[in-house]
Amino acid sequence: MTASAPATPATPASPTASSSPTASSSSIEAFVEEASAFLDEHATRRPTGTARVVWGEGEDRISYFGDEPPEVDKAKVDAARAWQRTRHEHGFGWITGPTEYGGRALSPLHDLVYDQLEAGYDVPDTGVISLIGLGMIGPTILAHAREEIKQRYLPAMFRGDAIACQLFSEPGAGSDLANVATRAVRDGEEWVLNGQKVWTSVAHHAELGMAVCRSDPSQPKHRGITAFLVDMSLPGVEVRPLRQMTGGAEFNEVFLTDVRVPDDHRLGEVDDGWRVTMTTLMSERASVGGEGAGPVERAVSRSYLTAMLEAMGLSRDAAARRRLAEVLADLTATGYLNQQSLRTLLDGRAPGPEASASKLMFSHNLAAASHLAAEMVGPRMIAETGDWGTFSWNELLLGTPALRILGGTEEIMKNIIGERVLGLPKEPGTDTKAPFRAPTGEQS
Amino acid sequence: MTVTTTAIAGAEELEDLRLSVRSLLADKSDESRVREVMESDLGYDASVWRQLADQVGVQSLAVPEHHGGAGFGQVELGVALRELGRALVPGPFFSSVVLGAGALLAAQDESAMAAHLPGIAAGTTLATLAVIETDGQWRTHGFTTRAREDGEASWTLDGEKSLVLDAVGADLYVVAADTPHGPGLFLVESGAAGLEVTGLRALDPTRRVGRLTLTGTPAAALGRPGNGTAALEHLLDRATAALAAEQVGAARACLEMSVAYARQRVQFGRPIGSFQAVKHMCADMFTRLEVAEAAATEAARAVDGLPDAPPAGEAAAVAHAVCSEAFMFIAQQTIQVHGGIGFTWEHPAHLYFRRAKVSQLMFGGPAVYYERLLERWGV
Repeated sequence: MTASAPATPATPASPTASSSPTASSSSIEAFVEEASAFLDEHATRRPTGTARVVWGEGEDRISYFGDEPPEVDKAKVDAARAWQRTRHEHGFGWITGPTEYGGRALSPLHDLVYDQLEAGYDVPDTGVISLIGLGMIGPTILAHAREEIKQRYLPAMFRGDAIACQLFSEPGAGSDLANVATRAVRDGEEWVLNGQKVWTSVAHHAELGMAVCRSDPSQPKHRGITAFLVDMSLPGVEVRPLRQMTGGAEFNEVFLTDVRVPDDHRLGEVDDGWRVTMTTLMSERASVGGEGAGPVERAVSRSYLTAMLEAMGLSRDAAARRRLAEVLADLTATGYLNQQSLRTLLDGRAPGPEASASKLMFSHNLAAASHLAAEMVGPRMIAETGDWGTFSWNELLLGTPALRILGGTEEIMKNIIGERVLGLPKEPGTDTKAPFRAPTGEQS
Repeated sequence: MTVTTTAIAGAEELEDLRLSVRSLLADKSDESRVREVMESDLGYDASVWRQLADQVGVQSLAVPEHHGGAGFGQVELGVALRELGRALVPGPFFSSVVLGAGALLAAQDESAMAAHLPGIAAGTTLATLAVIETDGQWRTHGFTTRAREDGEASWTLDGEKSLVLDAVGADLYVVAADTPHGPGLFLVESGAAGLEVTGLRALDPTRRVGRLTLTGTPAAALGRPGNGTAALEHLLDRATAALAAEQVGAARACLEMSVAYARQRVQFGRPIGSFQAVKHMCADMFTRLEVAEAAATEAARAVDGLPDAPPAGEAAAVAHAVCSEAFMFIAQQTIQVHGGIGFTWEHPAHLYFRRAKVSQLMFGGPAVYYERLLERWGV
């Protein structure tokens, strides 16, 4: 999730038209056949049919944010890299990318169709690579980097060799991202970066970072910003885990101290980094469909929550039934909304503004379900009593406040809906015309 | 028990339908006209009713072709209902076309359908449904109104039916009553012996309600007596799916009205829509409406039995809950965005507020629709 409006990938005029003369399976039918054959060979199909929750059976841990020991975390990332490499070797690593960088040059529809197919298989979660790196930074490099940089990094990223992170937010630049204070000072053919980034997901696994820096403080804040691609192994880059309220450390602080970045790693023109940043934020793919098989999806479901109602002896409790019905009504209707977005995409039409509503509903539904579960569990939510499906909700419950903040707070999302979808006037900014003029490190 | 849909309109046809209903209503049933007719004796504009039937054929949309209709389904009907809701058009549309025709279809009584559906489709017969009794509860069995078999295929009804939509002026009443074989549906014609019809003062002046008193009133069985519960359950899916379309149409009108006002109304030297307090209210209304719109659409697709749609019982119950809540929320926020002016009689906001509350309650209200949703899932 980002502070931007959901990106609307250019959809093909005709779902069956190929955007590449070289692609062999450009028709959707042929592509589906090819992708299914690949998946059948390299992955196991998930059991079909409705996964009915049987109370007390299976894993009861429910966490939106992983909270695993480093070695488990590392193993998962390794598995993600390996699966991405397998995909890439078989032509599914970058379905929409240009062929000169290892892509297939097929349409966003092909990409979507592949995701739908893959969701039916038990494969490693590649979110650590794809959500930010391939989904947002890849398109930015493609649009704004020099040719040799594209050649050097894009194939590596889409092969799973280079994970990329966003060095965007700072202590003084959260919702107001254009307020970044990390300084970039030119020194011959290099730039020297100094500053502090925060809330950086996947930085502890990343080979690459995209840093948004202040190159000219004498200009108004949206100007005077320059973006760079930063090799995370450079001297002066320090990644420190940031422990969040769930107890785990999914995010990081990244300190940049006299980090020397070659000028050819600059993205876009000098002082034009805001536009580059917008490319990144706009590249987020409309999240439709969903994974449907993770522990969160399993728990925040009709099957689980109704099983819980019974298990807690609340089947005849009018108040609990009412609350459950309210949560399930929203959950089911949001599911309908997502299915309709998906149908729109599969029909080859651009999705409408419903995706921004879907995002707000997602965090609302998860929070509502967590609090409902806590209410049904009652005092056993307070401590680990050993009872299945009770205390285990604490991780999701503690994770839900983040969903209203990360990638653009709920308030920023509502501004976007208000301004871009409904056409309401912007709040008059008090600091958009004045020079930024922030001494390094003193923004708050 | 599905009603076969013989025709499915494409996206362009649906858009054409939407535009023709919208332009007719913009032309003939704007707010000032709505206010005029809602206070008239008849309660609606008979010429608008005629034009909806003759020029667009709205009344016939979801009636099967062999009974004089256009043979479309709930999806197409929903397009028209969104427009009727948007403009708060007074008239017996919901009562006759949705409930009356819906009951005839749900009961699957061929001879009754052949006798009455062509008239309903043409807009010349006005039918309505009488289920609720003096306790005000929507139910599908356990009626105090009794049907007595009075010779061959002839019945008489005794009891009182309340909160009957457009009772005054209807030609045909579908009345739910208990029989020795279980609950059944019966047809009573206006002017029947022992039938007394009284109008009631209504919360929503664009949606009239009345009461029926039946004293030894002759009636014809609709379908097999004893099958009333199944028919009413089936009808409820169709009716709540239809209501959902009307609700989202009206709610969208509220959102558009609120956004337009927030852009134009200046306080503290700037349009109030630039203040986050107001902007976020509008964004919340938008979010609720998008979800409600999806639920209404899915319910219509489900009732039409489209292959990738969820079960009709689920989708209709979800839509009824979600659209009722959304419309009520949006209607309230519309008044809040408008401030004092939104509380005046002259402003249309209260008409939407009234419609929202009536729509939310007419099939039982929140306690009933949430419980029904769980029941549909077997919880």
